[in-house]
Amino acid sequence: MAEILGGIGTSHVPTIGGAYDRNKQNDPDWAPLFRGYEPVKQWLAEKTPDVLVFFYNDHATTFFFDHYPTFALGVSAEYPIADEGLGPRAVPPLKGHAGLARHMADALVNDEFDLTVFQERPLDHGCNSPLSLLWPHAPDWPGALVPIEINVLQHPIPTPARCWKLGQAVRRSVLSYPEDLKVVIVGTGGLSHQMNGERAGFNNEKWDRKFLDLIARDPRKLVAMRHADYIRLGGTEGAEEIMWLAMRGALSPRARKIHQSYYLPMTTAMAVALFEEPQAKPASKKR
Amino acid sequence: MNPQLKGVEKLAGTYLFDLATSAKALRLNRFLHGLTFAANRTLFKDKPEAAFDKAGLSAEERRMVRELDWAALMRYGASFFCLEKLGRVKGVSNPEMVAGFRGESLEEFLKTRNVPGAR
Repeated sequence: MAEILGGIGTSHVPTIGGAYDRNKQNDPDWAPLFRGYEPVKQWLAEKTPDVLVFFYNDHATTFFFDHYPTFALGVSAEYPIADEGLGPRAVPPLKGHAGLARHMADALVNDEFDLTVFQERPLDHGCNSPLSLLWPHAPDWPGALVPIEINVLQHPIPTPARCWKLGQAVRRSVLSYPEDLKVVIVGTGGLSHQMNGERAGFNNEKWDRKFLDLIARDPRKLVAMRHADYIRLGGTEGAEEIMWLAMRGALSPRARKIHQSYYLPMTTAMAVALFEEPQAKPASKKR
Repeated sequence: MNPQLKGVEKLAGTYLFDLATSAKALRLNRFLHGLTFAANRTLFKDKPEAAFDKAGLSAEERRMVRELDWAALMRYGASFFCLEKLGRVKGVSNPEMVAGFRGESLEEFLKTRNVPGAR
C-alpha cells in the first residue's frame, strides 16, 4: 500500500527558482534561503519518496480567467515546464505518476470532491520554483509529481476549511492506493506578501511566525479563519497559505514539524517547513 | 457579497481580484496572458500596435501597456500575475512593478526592504 512519509510547506515565489538558475547559492543575499532548504533536501534524499503530491496554484499561466478551475488534479505521466514570458526554465519536464493520480481522481470523486482533471498542461513556478531547491534534477528528476492546482487568484477562492478537507480526502485517496509507494505531500505559497495596490510590499513577520507555529501545533485555528483574516494579516497573496492547510490536512495528527526556515529579503516572506510522520522512522518496514 | 471577504474593503491600497474585476479587465488580461506564447511576444516586440489590434485593446488599455503604467493597470483591473508576463517581456522586475503600485521609485522602495540586493 502507498504510505505518506511526511509533508513540506514551502513558498513558491519565482525568485527562488531564479536564484537557483543564476547560481546564487553562495551570494550573501541568497545564501540564507538555500541554507534553509538544505535539511529538507537532505531529508528527501534519505527518504527517497516516489511521488510528491503538490498543492500549488497556477499564476494565470496554464489556466486563464475565461475558465479557471477551483481545484484541478493532474493525471498525466509528464508535464512541460511553463513559459511565463521568458521561455521555459532550463530544467527537465516534470514526471507525473498517472497510476496514483487516476486512482486519486476515482477516490476523490467518490469522496464528493468533484475536481477538474488535466493532462500534459505546463506547470509554472508554483511547482517548479521550490522544486529546484528540494530535488536534484540532473540528469532527471528523481521522482514523480501529482499536481493539484488550487485557485487562489480569482475570488471566490475555496475556503480554508475546504482546503483542509481536500487535504484529508487526498490522504484517504493516497492511503487506499494498492501499490507500495512512498509519498510526500507538499503545500506551496505565502507567506506574507501583497502584489497589488499601494499596500503592495506589505509583510508581517510576527504573523508569519505565528502561522508557522499554528500549522504544526494547532492547525484547526487556521482552518477556522476567513480569507479576510489572512489578507489583513498576511496581504492579499498571503491568502495562498490555504494551500499549506491542504498539505497539513493530508498528514496525520501525529505528524511533527522537524525543521523550519524563514527569510524575508524583498517582497515575499520565503519559508519552508518539514513535517514527518511517526511511521516514517527508519527500520519500520511494512506491516 | 462573499462572506469570506467581509472587512477587506477597509484595507487601504488593496485591489481584490474578484469576478467583477475579472470581467471588466478580461480583454486586457487575455492580452497579457497571451505573452506566454512566443509568437505573441514577437508580434508585441516588433509591431506593438498590431498586437494591440489583434487583442482588440481600447485606446486607454494601449496607453497603459505602452507606458508600463503599473499603478493605472492595477487600478483598471489587470491581474498582477498577468502583469508579471508583461514585466518579463519588458525586462521589468517584480520589485520595480511593486514600487510602481506604491507610487515610488525603485530606489525608494528598495530602501524599505531587508535585503535590497536580493533581486
